Amino acid sequence: MLKGHLDLIVLAALSGRPAHGYAVIEEIRRKSGQAFDLPEGTIYPALHRLEQAGLLVSRWETADSGRRRRVYALTRRGRGALAERRAVWQRFSDAIGGLLSAEPLTRLP
Amino acid sequence: MIDAYVDSLLGALRHDRSLARRLRREVEDHLWEAVAADPSEEGREAQRRAIAGFGDPRLIAAQFAAVSLQKQARRTGVAVVLIVAGVYITMKARVAWYALMECAITNDIAAVAQLVASIDRYSFWLSVVVGVGCWAYSSRGRFQLSLSQKHRGLFRRYIFLCTTAAIALVVSVTSDAVLTLLRLPKVDLSLEFLIPTLSMLCEITGAGLLVHQIRATAHRAAITRSMLEAG
Repeated sequence: MLKGHLDLIVLAALSGRPAHGYAVIEEIRRKSGQAFDLPEGTIYPALHRLEQAGLLVSRWETADSGRRRRVYALTRRGRGALAERRAVWQRFSDAIGGLLSAEPLTRLP
Repeated sequence: MIDAYVDSLLGALRHDRSLARRLRREVEDHLWEAVAADPSEEGREAQRRAIAGFGDPRLIAAQFAAVSLQKQARRTGVAVVLIVAGVYITMKARVAWYALMECAITNDIAAVAQLVASIDRYSFWLSVVVGVGCWAYSSRGRFQLSLSQKHRGLFRRYIFLCTTAAIALVVSVTSDAVLTLLRLPKVDLSLEFLIPTLSMLCEITGAGLLVHQIRATAHRAAITRSMLEAG
C-alpha cells in the first residue's frame, strides 16, 4: 500500500526544505512517527523518477564531512502536484473516516 | 563491504553510465552516512546494518532500470521527430540544388522516377504523422515499464509506433537514394555529384541512427522486464 503513495510521501518530505536522500528518509521516519520504515534504497528511484517528471530539481553539494551529496528540492510544478495529491488524499481519508465512524444501520423489525 | 554492495547494485545498470556514475556517489554517501549515524562502535557490523537497511540490490537496480528506460524512451520519441525533420530539410535542399544545377531526369526513365517519387512521398508523410504521434505519446509520459499488463501494453504500442515511423523513413530514404541514382548516372568528383551524394549519406546516417536507437530501447525494455520479474 505504501508503495502506491511513495511519490506523495517523498514530495511531502521535501516540502519543508531541500534535502539529500538520507535526510529524506530521516524526515519520512520523523514525520510518520517511525511508522514508515521503508527499505532506504527504494527512495532513490522515486527521487530520480520525480526529477525526470520535473517535480524535483537536484544539485551536488559538499557536506561538512567533505563528501559530495545530491540535494533535491521541489520545483513549482512539484509544489502544485503535492497540493493536488494532498487534496485527493484528504478527500479519500475523509470518506473512509466517514464510513468507519458511521452509525450502524438500524435493523428492520 | 560497502564497495562490494554498490558494485552489485550498479552491475545491472552498466548500460546507463551517467546514471551509474551518479548513483555510485549517492549510494556511497548514503551508506557511509548511515554507518556514521550507527550507535554501535563495530564498523563492520554498522556497514552490514546500513546495507541491510538499504534493501535488496536486485530490486533497487530493477527500479532504476525502469526509470532509465523511461528516459531513453522519451529520447527516442524526440529522436524520431528530429531525424524526420532533418531528412526533410536535407531532401528539400537537394531538390533545390537539382533546380539550381538544372539536373533533370531523362524522359526514358520518367515513369519509373514518378513511381519511386510517389513511394517516397507517401512513406515520408507516413513517417511524419507516426513520428509526431510517437513524440506526443512520449512527451505525455504515458508509458512506463512495470509488471502491470496495462503498462506493458502501452510500452509495446509505443515501440510499435516508433518502429512504424522508422520503417516508413527507411523506405522514404531508400526511394530518395534510387531517385538520386536515376538523376546522377555518371560518377565523378564534381560538385554536381558530390552534394547530392553527401546529402544522401546524411539521410542514410539519420535513418540508421533512428533504427539503432529504437532497437536499443526495445533491448533495454527486455532487460528491464527480466530484472523486474527477477526482483
